[in-house]
Amino acid sequence: MRLVLDHLTACHPFWSLVANGVFSPGVHLVSGDVGSGKSTLALMMAGLLTPESGTVIRESIPQMMLSFQFPEFHITGLSVAEECRSWNLDPDAVIRSAGIDVAKETPSLSLSRGELKRLHLACVLARDYDLLLLDEPFSSLDCPGKEWVCRQMNKRAGGITVIFTHEQSIFPDIDHIWEIVGGELADCGDMPGAVVHWQHAPPLVKKLICTGRSPLALTPEGIREAACRTRG
Amino acid sequence: MQDPRIRLLCAFLLSFAAFASVTGAVAVFVWWLAFTPRWHSIRHRTALLATLVLFVIVAGVMTLAGSDGLSYLVRMIAILLVGTWVYAESCTGDFLSAGTWLFGTRIGFEAGMIAGMAMQMATGLSEDFRRIRIATGLKGQPWGICSIVPAGRILIHDALRRADETAEVLAMRGYRNGGTICPHFHTTLRDGLAGTCAAAALVLAYFPVSEFFILYR
Repeated sequence: MRLVLDHLTACHPFWSLVANGVFSPGVHLVSGDVGSGKSTLALMMAGLLTPESGTVIRESIPQMMLSFQFPEFHITGLSVAEECRSWNLDPDAVIRSAGIDVAKETPSLSLSRGELKRLHLACVLARDYDLLLLDEPFSSLDCPGKEWVCRQMNKRAGGITVIFTHEQSIFPDIDHIWEIVGGELADCGDMPGAVVHWQHAPPLVKKLICTGRSPLALTPEGIREAACRTRG
Repeated sequence: MQDPRIRLLCAFLLSFAAFASVTGAVAVFVWWLAFTPRWHSIRHRTALLATLVLFVIVAGVMTLAGSDGLSYLVRMIAILLVGTWVYAESCTGDFLSAGTWLFGTRIGFEAGMIAGMAMQMATGLSEDFRRIRIATGLKGQPWGICSIVPAGRILIHDALRRADETAEVLAMRGYRNGGTICPHFHTTLRDGLAGTCAAAALVLAYFPVSEFFILYR
């Protein structure tokens, strides 16, 4: 199972993007500035947007899902229960997993953006997709919400997970880092070595690298371990 | 067309002309052929086609009910063409400039700003609609007539929320009403000609051609 980006290009009036790379099973982080083309790249990787040139090759990926930044786009059910059933999931289990305090009969669009995001991500992460593309999964979430998403992502068994985000504080257990720099998708490599080449690294991670305590993982535990590590 | 004032004036005149009579609608169509980039001015052809289908259905129902469905269809198509042309030609700030020039810095500014925001939202809505359609497909649900209702619900909900948020932001920044802007317009000879012809189309719509030639009989 792998996803190959073969000389992919996308053009926009204000930016352009060139992408090359192979995405193997694991959790991939694609970082980049706002407006650098992350969402466009996600759409092209999902095969929902035709690139200007190049191809996307999906090998042994029968099941794929792209989660948009705005959860409203995915809502088709009038109530929370209907929405869960539209994903073929048990409403009680999803509500419990999402950790939101709402009744099943609550109109789905009456939820706050944060609650809706949690509900949507709980539905998406409850299913086993071979390729899961998450566009800004941390937006609209508070810190406990972000930590909850990370825990759910870490539970995923197998498959390729690609997170497109400019998040700078809380991450799941990342296996591989990519970033969009100067209109090009750069491969920073596998963790833990990738952080050294990562230009969009959070300030705390950069500080740790400068002091010779490069984190082994980007999880809160990994960062804490690096910060507490004794230099010897 | 360079001048947004003449563009808006043409839109009003042509809409009235098309709505008034079939002759007016035909005149509007001729005007559309002469002064617009024609098919290139249609940005969202699928949306236009969907609206056309809706008009055909209504016209069919009207015909079955004994009304003049064909006349309705011709007139509505002409209005639709004018609308798509105005939408395609509009640039950011056009409505604000034209509104302020026409009605002043208080009511004009406010009306122009609202119109400008509405146009911006219309552009966003088409992109949102595309995303909703993709998301529905990703869920494995077929896209059809039944999908229009939930999609419309989300679009309306989002539009209302954005409007609410915009209003709050404006209030937070201390906006009450009105504002100052020094609009600058560039008028070409073609703009003037298009405006004159639009006025002629309106005259033609209300006074049939036979009325002009009766003196020569």
